[in-house]
Amino acid sequence: MTMRFSMWLSGRLLVPKGESKYARLRLVRSAALIAIVMIPLVLALIFMDGMMNGITDKYILLQDGHIQLHVEDPLFDSQYDVSAIDPRLESADYVVSGYGIVYSRDTTAEVRIKGVDISYFNENRMTQLEFTGEPLKKEGSLAAVMLSTTIAQKLGVEVGQRVAFMVVPDSSSSVVRPVLANVTALYDSGYHELDSSLLFMNRDDAMRYFPKDRNAYTELLVSRDHVDDLGAIVATLESAMDKNFPYATWDEFNGTVYQNFITSRQVILLVFMMILLVAGVYVSSIAQEMIQDSMQSIALFKTLGATNSNLSWAYFCSVMVVTSIGLVAGVSLGLLIGSQIGVLLHWLGNSGLAGLQYYLLDFRIVISWRDILAISFSMLVISSVTVRLSLGRIRRISPLEMLQQD
Amino acid sequence: MTKELLRFHTVTKTFVSGQSQLVILEDLDFVLYSGTSVAITGKSGSGKSTLLNIAGGLDKPSAGSVSFLGRELGALNDKDLSAFRNRHIGFVFQSHILLDDFTALENVCVPALIRGARQADAVKRAKELLDRVGLSDRLQHRPQKLSGGERQRVAICRALVNAPDLIIADEPTGSLDEESSSGIETLLTDIVREEGKTLLMVTHDTQLASRCSTVYLLHNRTLQEME
Ligand SMILES: Nc1ncnc2c1ncn2[C@@H]1O[C@H](COP(=O)(O)OP(=O)(O)OP(=O)(O)O)[C@@H](O)[C@H]1O
Ligand SMILES: [Mg+2]
Repeated sequence: MTMRFSMWLSGRLLVPKGESKYARLRLVRSAALIAIVMIPLVLALIFMDGMMNGITDKYILLQDGHIQLHVEDPLFDSQYDVSAIDPRLESADYVVSGYGIVYSRDTTAEVRIKGVDISYFNENRMTQLEFTGEPLKKEGSLAAVMLSTTIAQKLGVEVGQRVAFMVVPDSSSSVVRPVLANVTALYDSGYHELDSSLLFMNRDDAMRYFPKDRNAYTELLVSRDHVDDLGAIVATLESAMDKNFPYATWDEFNGTVYQNFITSRQVILLVFMMILLVAGVYVSSIAQEMIQDSMQSIALFKTLGATNSNLSWAYFCSVMVVTSIGLVAGVSLGLLIGSQIGVLLHWLGNSGLAGLQYYLLDFRIVISWRDILAISFSMLVISSVTVRLSLGRIRRISPLEMLQQD
Repeated sequence: MTKELLRFHTVTKTFVSGQSQLVILEDLDFVLYSGTSVAITGKSGSGKSTLLNIAGGLDKPSAGSVSFLGRELGALNDKDLSAFRNRHIGFVFQSHILLDDFTALENVCVPALIRGARQADAVKRAKELLDRVGLSDRLQHRPQKLSGGERQRVAICRALVNAPDLIIADEPTGSLDEESSSGIETLLTDIVREEGKTLLMVTHDTQLASRCSTVYLLHNRTLQEME
């Protein structure tokens, strides 16, 4: 019932009329400041999530696949449509891989050599890389390889030239000798860390250097919505083919990378919380200022019969409305700028800023609504607690105060 | 037939400031009957405002008790005391009386809104009252844009908006020039009589005092009735 007065007063505090220009300005300034705090938080979240997802995608699509079935012979031929077995599956590729060292006249690079068929570069994977030249095209008897532009630059080689490489043997009994290969193409995945250690080789050539009993496997990709069902997908495959497969999933290979992402994400969210705490203190100072400026009015309201809770509610609601407006404005602006983050990063990338090569500068925008909601909600909860605390001041204003000030 | 509205029973009020104790009211007995108008006069600093504050539930006696319509005010908690002031008392003060950021109309509405009245009802009642005191063309004016007399008339409307039993006025004409103060005097006493309310007023103004049914002098910490 008396809530009506609180709501009325709260509305009047939010829309100060007449002389109280200063009060109006203060509300706008407060909302703007809250928005300014929220914008970078939302941007950071979009950047972080987009980049982590982007990097994870690159590792999955180019390096490890979602699932590796460790079976030495091909399970499917390259034309076979695996989605017929399980619609969650997108592709299956027979791969032979191992480690090696690539030489040029001046320097060397340690690489993971991945022997693949040309069909490996399907639509899915082509979203992750660009290449120049004709990948893995055989000319003569030399092995055909595709280097990353990063490695090519390091070695100082170009398409059409040759490099020497040496396979790192699995056992000491193997004989190690350098062999030559044709560089038929260069690729660029956009992520330097991955590029600097991955080399593609024609699969037939790779089979000559790596024993298939240890180094061959079938790499499966599943659709984006089912990355959490990997175990179930393998089970379906096993029952369909009536065989058991030793298998590994992508997170086992990139455990540290993945774990690092999760940890950094948690640390960043923690930092966000501290920023929100500071923002909460700021919001409570708005409440304090508002009360400070209207001690006389509060005393008069009390004389006329307003209770502490009437007045607290009124001030609480106005401050929270200002906070919410700032919050919504900040999040919206953050999302708007975030959706243009590609442009921003492109510009940054071209600026030649050092250290950027460790970041992925071209990725799909990922908006984690859950986190944005969590941040907004935390902001509201933290502010409402700090504001409530600062409203204790209202309790200490006595109605007589108004009469004593002459 | 005359109902007892307010009773002071051996009320003592002392203020402690530092080491010294200041006794303002001592063993004061006083009964205010419904429908009467009472004026209190006395020297400056004699404790008139203190007495009104206690009567209006803004301050508490140091000893003794105050009852309103038979109810002991000392037994009420903060919330109930606020509700009591809101419903039963209308205050008119000498100065610092209106909310500066609010219009005349809003100022009058405040006690009704606090009571829980719907805004439309509060506005309707406030407009009637403002009309009655001749301010129907000043509804949207802010206090700074009103004359002293007009402000006091707004304050009188605000005191009446909840139709309280008792109007407490502390030197309502104290800060006005002679002309506007005589207007306020007539208005206050007339309106109180017409609405059948009770008036408890402090004034130095003998003219105003003479309009009241009883006049008391606050002297030597207690009230003496004047003939
Ligand atoms: N909160 C307080 N603390 C200490 N002393 C106070 C307090 N309030 C009032 N007094 C003292 O009590 C005495 C009476 O004050 P009060 O305001 O009731 O006088 P008054 O009769 O209304 O005077 P005036 O005619 O000037 O308004 C004064 O001496 C004043 O200094
Ligand atoms: Mg006084």
